[in-house]
Amino acid sequence: MTQIKSASSTRNRSVRVASQPFVYGAVTLLCVLAAWFLATDVLHLVGSSFLPSPVTVIATLFGLTVQPFAGATLMGHLGLSLARWALGVGAGILLGVLLGIVLAWLPPVRAAVTPIFEVLRYIPPFAWVPIAVLWLGASMSAQALVVFIAAFPPCVINTQLGVSTVDPILTNAARTLGAPPMTILRRVVVPVAAPSIFTGARIAVSNGWMALVGAELIVGKEGLGFLIAQGQFNGDVAMIFVGIIVIGIVGTLIDFLIARAEVWTLPWKTDSK
Amino acid sequence: MNTTVIKTGAPMREADMNDATPKMEIRGVSKTYTTRKSETYALETTDLSIGTGEFVTIVGPSGCGKSTLMMIAAGLEEPSTGEILVDGSPAGPAGPKRSVVFQRFALFPSETVAQNIGFGLSVAHVSKVERTERIEEQLTLMGLEQFRNSYPKELSGGMQQRVAIARALIVRPEILLMDEPFAALDAQTRTVMQEEVSRLHRRMQSTVFFITHSVEEAVYLADRVVVMSKRPGRIKKEISIPHDAPWRTGDIEDAMTYGDFNELRKEIWDLVREEITTH
Repeated sequence: MTQIKSASSTRNRSVRVASQPFVYGAVTLLCVLAAWFLATDVLHLVGSSFLPSPVTVIATLFGLTVQPFAGATLMGHLGLSLARWALGVGAGILLGVLLGIVLAWLPPVRAAVTPIFEVLRYIPPFAWVPIAVLWLGASMSAQALVVFIAAFPPCVINTQLGVSTVDPILTNAARTLGAPPMTILRRVVVPVAAPSIFTGARIAVSNGWMALVGAELIVGKEGLGFLIAQGQFNGDVAMIFVGIIVIGIVGTLIDFLIARAEVWTLPWKTDSK
Repeated sequence: MNTTVIKTGAPMREADMNDATPKMEIRGVSKTYTTRKSETYALETTDLSIGTGEFVTIVGPSGCGKSTLMMIAAGLEEPSTGEILVDGSPAGPAGPKRSVVFQRFALFPSETVAQNIGFGLSVAHVSKVERTERIEEQLTLMGLEQFRNSYPKELSGGMQQRVAIARALIVRPEILLMDEPFAALDAQTRTVMQEEVSRLHRRMQSTVFFITHSVEEAVYLADRVVVMSKRPGRIKKEISIPHDAPWRTGDIEDAMTYGDFNELRKEIWDLVREEITTH
C-alpha cells in the first residue's frame, strides 16, 4: 500500500533547498551593486557619461515616478508597455494554443498549414515593425502585433507537441467510458498536455516582452523602450539604465508569476520540477 | 439491463449459460494491417461466443494477436472482416457497454481517484447524488476509501489498477474486457488482485473477457480458457473449466496444490509451448 507523502514535510524540504540558492543569488547581486558603486562613486574608474553611479540611477528612477517625461511618469510608461505586451501575448497564447490543438488533431490541416508556418516563424519579429506601422500606424496595436508575432509560434509548437504525445491509451480509455471527442479534449488531452502548453506560454511571455521593448526602441512615443531611446537621444545615460533595470525586473516578475500559475493550476503535477 | 449485472447469488447462472443469445459474439473477425510496403496478417478469421456471466480467458504467445482481438472486441479498432455482437445486435463504436481495463492502468493523471472512478457517470450526465453514491460504493468495494482525493501517481500499481477496475465497473458494463491487467504488477500484488477479481466475478456474475500470457492465471480465473496460436492468431483450442472447481474460492497459490489444476495447467502450457518453439 502506498504511503502518501505528507504535504508539510515536502514543503519544508523544498523551502530549505530553495532558500540556499536564493541566498547565493542575493549575495552575487549585492557584490555587483557594490562593484558598480566602487567603480563609479568611490574610485571614479569610469566617467558618469559612460556609466552613471547607482545612486544617480536610483535618483533618476524615483524622479521619473513623480515627474512625467514625454507625457507620462515611469508608471505610465510601464503601464502602456504592459498593456501592449498583454494584448499581443494574450492573443498569441489564445490563438497559438487553439491552432496547436487543431494541428495535432487534424493531420490534413497540419499538412496544409505547416509549410507556411515554418517559413513565417523564421522571420524575426522586428522585421515586421515597418509593416505593422504601415498597416496599423504607430499605435498600441502596431507594437502589440510585433509582440503577437513573437509569442504565437512557441505556443503553436509546444501545444502541438504536448497534444500529439498524449498516450493514446488515455483517449481510448475515455472512449470506452462513453466520452465524446470534445469531452476527451477538455478532460483528458488538454490537462495532460498542459505542462507542454505552459512551456509554450512561458516562452511566449518572455519572447513577447523582448519583442515589445525592441519594437518600442524603433517606433513609438511612450513605453519603456521609448524611454531608453530618448535617453540615448538626449545623452541621459541614467535614464537608459532606469529603462534597462525596470525591463529586467518586470520581465523576471512576469516569468515568476507564470511559473507559480503552473503550480497552482496543475496540482497533480507538483513534484515534476 | 443494469440490474442484471449487479445481481448477487447464483440461481440465474445455469439459465443464463443455456441462453440462446450469447452476451458477446465475435463473428468472423479477422485483421490485416496494411502499410505502404507490406501487409501483416495479424488475426485469422475468428469466431467466439461468450455467455452471460461467463469468465473467458485468452492465453497465447506474445504477439499472437490477442491484444488485437481485444481492441476489436472493445470497438477501439475496426476488424478487416466480421463483426462484434452484444446481446445479438451489432455493438457499434466503443462505449460503456464494453468497458476496458488496460495493462498500463490508463488513469487520467489530472483527476483524483474519485473523479477517475466517476468519469463514465459524469460523461453520461448521471445526477450528482447518484454519482456520489455509486462512487462511494466502488471506493468501499475496492478498499480505496482513504485514497478518494489522491492523484493516480500517488498510488502504487496495485491501487492504480483497483481504481481502473472500479472505473470500468461503475458504468455497469454488459461485458468487462481486461487486457493483461496484472502484467505490470509485482508478483505478490498480482496474486492478491487475481483473488479479488475472482471474488468480484463470483459476487457480481459479471461477464468477463480476459487476456493474459500467464497460463496459471488463465486456468485459475476462467470458466473457459481459449488458447491462441502464434501470429497470425487463430483459436487453437477451447477448454472448459469445471464450474465447481475447488480452487475458485482460494488464491492462486492454493490452486497450485490441486492435482486437477496442475493437469489443466500442464495441458494448456503444452499447447502454448508448441506455438513458441515451432517456427
